[in-house]
Amino acid sequence: MKKNQQKNRPKNLNLFTIRLPINAVVSILHRASGVALFLVLPLLLLAFQASVKSPESYVEVANIFGAWWVKLLLIGLSWAFFHHFFAGIRHLLQDVHWMTSLQKARFSSRVVLWLVGVSVVIFGISIW
Amino acid sequence: MLIELLTDKYPGMRFWLTQRLTALVMAAYLVLVILLLVIVQPARFEAWHALVSPVWFRLATILFFASLCMHAWLGVRDVLRDYVFNQGLRGYLQIIVDVLLVIYFVWLCFILWNL
Repeated sequence: MKKNQQKNRPKNLNLFTIRLPINAVVSILHRASGVALFLVLPLLLLAFQASVKSPESYVEVANIFGAWWVKLLLIGLSWAFFHHFFAGIRHLLQDVHWMTSLQKARFSSRVVLWLVGVSVVIFGISIW
Repeated sequence: MLIELLTDKYPGMRFWLTQRLTALVMAAYLVLVILLLVIVQPARFEAWHALVSPVWFRLATILFFASLCMHAWLGVRDVLRDYVFNQGLRGYLQIIVDVLLVIYFVWLCFILWNL
């Protein structure tokens, strides 16, 4: 009986009508950016290896990183890093019970998004 | 209190704490490296090579990367548990991730060794 009642509860899993609150947005982006950083690890290792191997391979890496589309990818990657970094620090602060009320959590989410935005812009300007 | 939380009575706590401690190690290392890069601005191979060659930098990098591997292992494990419902498939994916992380770690040690 109880199971039946639970089954009859209305569900809304339509992704186009679900609007995530800001805390949920920061949270899911923290997860997504973490997965992205994991997936890109071998490329970073390859680039690091080539950059320290010899002056010639260093120049090759520098040339690849100089292409505009690689720079765009790097800016995207910097977003993943900065978001994971700042949202992670926010989670750590919440672990020690700092800013855990709903209102303060919303505020810290906005702070995280701003810090990420500003960091990505600074990074983008400095590599262009 | 904290010590009790780390006993077998609360098996998840060690993972929880590991994820946080590795995060702190990585954050400290990355802030240091970003500051170094901004200050030194190694624009040529020689400067870049000199920056990453000191023993302390290599050791710090290995500590950082070991933390990264543990952190990534825990994070990907959580993601797989949340989204991959087929137990068999999840097991295979987890093994692939485990092997990849071990390869990455050995690879980084190899790079640093040959500097």
